[in-house]
Amino acid sequence: MVKSFERLSRRDFLKFCGGAAAALGLSELFTAEMIAEALESAAKKPPLIWLEGQDCAGCTISLISVENPGPASLILDKISIRYHETIMAASGHMAEKVREETIKEGGYVLVVEGAIPSADDRFCMVGGRPFREIAIETAKNAAAIIGVGACSAFGGIPRGTPTKGVPLSKVLPGKAIINLPTCPVHMDHLMGTIVYFLVTHKAPRLDKLGRPLMYFGMSVHDNCRRRGHFDEEEFLTDWNDPKQRDWCLLEKGCKGPEAYADCSIRRWNNGINFCIDAGAPCQGCSEPGFYDEYSPLYAMGPVTDRILAKKAAGLIPRKENT
Amino acid sequence: MGKRITIDPITRIEGHLKIEVEVENGKVKDAWSSGTMARGFEALLLGKDPRDASYVTSRFCGVCFSVHQMASVRALDAAFGAQVPWGGTLLRNLVMGAEYIYDHLVHFYHLSALDYIDIMAIANYTGKDPELIKVKEKIVGLVQRGDTFPLTPRYKPDEFSVKDPDVVISAVKHYLDALKMQVKAKNMGVIFGGRAPHYQSIVVGGFTQYPDINQVARFRSMLDELAAFVNEVYISDVVAFGTGPLLPLAKAGIGGGHRNYLSYGSFEMDKAGKKLLFKPGVIVGLNGTKGKRVEPFKPEKITESVRYSWYKEDTPKHPYEGAQVFNLERSDAYSFVKAPRYEKIPMEVGPLARALVDQDPTVLGLIRDQGVKPGAVARHAARAIETKKIIDAMYHWCDELTAAITKPGFKIHDTAHWEPPAQGEGAGFFEPPRGALGHWIRIKDHKIANYQAVVPSTWNASPRDERGVRGQYEESLIGVPVPDPENPINVVRVIRSFDPCLACAIHLIDPKTNEIRKFMVE
Repeated sequence: MVKSFERLSRRDFLKFCGGAAAALGLSELFTAEMIAEALESAAKKPPLIWLEGQDCAGCTISLISVENPGPASLILDKISIRYHETIMAASGHMAEKVREETIKEGGYVLVVEGAIPSADDRFCMVGGRPFREIAIETAKNAAAIIGVGACSAFGGIPRGTPTKGVPLSKVLPGKAIINLPTCPVHMDHLMGTIVYFLVTHKAPRLDKLGRPLMYFGMSVHDNCRRRGHFDEEEFLTDWNDPKQRDWCLLEKGCKGPEAYADCSIRRWNNGINFCIDAGAPCQGCSEPGFYDEYSPLYAMGPVTDRILAKKAAGLIPRKENT
Repeated sequence: MGKRITIDPITRIEGHLKIEVEVENGKVKDAWSSGTMARGFEALLLGKDPRDASYVTSRFCGVCFSVHQMASVRALDAAFGAQVPWGGTLLRNLVMGAEYIYDHLVHFYHLSALDYIDIMAIANYTGKDPELIKVKEKIVGLVQRGDTFPLTPRYKPDEFSVKDPDVVISAVKHYLDALKMQVKAKNMGVIFGGRAPHYQSIVVGGFTQYPDINQVARFRSMLDELAAFVNEVYISDVVAFGTGPLLPLAKAGIGGGHRNYLSYGSFEMDKAGKKLLFKPGVIVGLNGTKGKRVEPFKPEKITESVRYSWYKEDTPKHPYEGAQVFNLERSDAYSFVKAPRYEKIPMEVGPLARALVDQDPTVLGLIRDQGVKPGAVARHAARAIETKKIIDAMYHWCDELTAAITKPGFKIHDTAHWEPPAQGEGAGFFEPPRGALGHWIRIKDHKIANYQAVVPSTWNASPRDERGVRGQYEESLIGVPVPDPENPINVVRVIRSFDPCLACAIHLIDPKTNEIRKFMVE
């Protein structure tokens, strides 16, 4: 059997698996040895098709923002990226042919970035064909389907535009889809979900909206370090005031109590920072209402009013998403 | 009638782009550039809180992320009457500098380099460098296992491809190293930006992250590592490519196109905002017909034509005077990209335009002393040269920020102008990596009454205008050698040299709000 990791020493490889488990929040679920065994026993690198619909490629850029495992090992060693418009060498017919052959082969992971226009197919055409048809055709033989980013998971920003963008679930009724919202997709969520699938050949446990509970099981507010100031009703009004530097961002439009995601503890970009720590309110990009239902983004509005009413009624305890 | 070749999708770019060329006697005789995806952000913004605009328009594009946030807040700053404190400007400049470094590295190594090297030449490497031997083993290992995706399939290497095993293997090593470096550049930006792609901390009036000295020190130490890579690796690779097999392409100026250049100018170097890193200006006809003088940039000279775009037919209008209603049924239209023109003339925007408008001595030296003509290869050179330029500026901004933080009354935000005005209008101009970007906003009853963006790839990727004059991509393909129609590698080389970004380039207005919008930009 051809081993995909034969070029790495055993020690390096276990180190990679352990690091991946820790970085991706999987260490409670799998040991490094379990991940190693799953990846080693694969006859070949798992094939991946990544489609881009009405997207901004932000999720792609998020994918190549992970430090460990780094993008080089991801692109060349860990998965076989058969089709990805932003990364692949091939163009035109040559690119489309690879996609068709991979579909025939089957057993690939399909990742879809971007929404699909429902107002008219002609708002998103690839290789002269409607993107909607391409998505349906490519989903046919996929072993797992992952909708990345707010657009693919819930329609995101394109939903409110004249092109009426819809989520992947709308064009693939009845198909099991793992939704990884946030705008863009969190790099750890994506890598971790792929590793989870490679180890178990199953989707992780999902909530009602198709989001893995291991990443979306808590609200942003639950573990926010500004939470004490929320309880004390100390709301930041002036970004220049060092005294207010860590105060609650509710008055600046923070949607944290309504947003389910582990950003407050995982943070972003290899743990360096995240929206709220940078003084910017959470805009609820993990939720189906994002963006149009969450406007105004930087002011008090219906969402923050609702949050304050719940707070007054004692209804914002720590609770789990199930 | 020549042979018609369609390349769809053009990969290793941002967005959905189709290129069609007609080839006769081994050369491109005519070309058509089509944007094939639309979303329609501007319509979504109508009636919303104006402050939403910077967050939403950032999502025009996740590759050149946050550049629209910058143009948007500049339009909002003008409309709100906000005076951004020096601290806020410095933080904005630093995070955008980080974006430049990431973006240019990814463009050269990960989006373009595969067009210029014969990657399989690695097998012939006979050197003893242990690092390079590892790279050889990695690639040869992929070949032996029969899985070289995504490096193959590919167009066949031609006479311009770099085949020297020593050069190719170090280029592939740098491809892998640059993957790490682009992560580092984003990490650096995130220290102040919050997260990337799509920074969170750029808002109208300034910035949201109140910085401390430790963060500046951390930023600076990451900048040191990136500066070393850019100076020692990126720039020398571009020189090695450009003076090697690509020299004939560089000297022939392949991909030069119209040779009209536009830059809006950007990046304040001093508190008064008088000195800019990139100067604004316009050059028409570098070939010599109308002289080479750099003319001042006048925003009111911009118009957009929709003659060959999927919008309701209209005469060319200033971005705010026209109402663009889409019409998918027009048989002669072939793109969602509109055709912006400056004094009715198509323009190139981006690093080469910036360097020429700025009269950058290094780029002018290449043209004067090395005989390089403005075109595809020169674009790569200008991009590398300006990366160093922006890094030097970032050190200056770090010094300024360190000095400012320690002074009493340090400010990052104009809090007095945070609430949206009842009425207002403003234009925001910025030079992101891909070139001249403008956003225009009009506010009525504290809400967005109109929003428009004319972005770099709209300039470069535009279709023909009402006079039938080709856009810059199209013109730059004329005469490009395509000896084998099955292997149009020079076509993608020229197109990728612009660093296309199509998601940015396409906007449309809701047909239901079909009102004629009159708006003057001062």
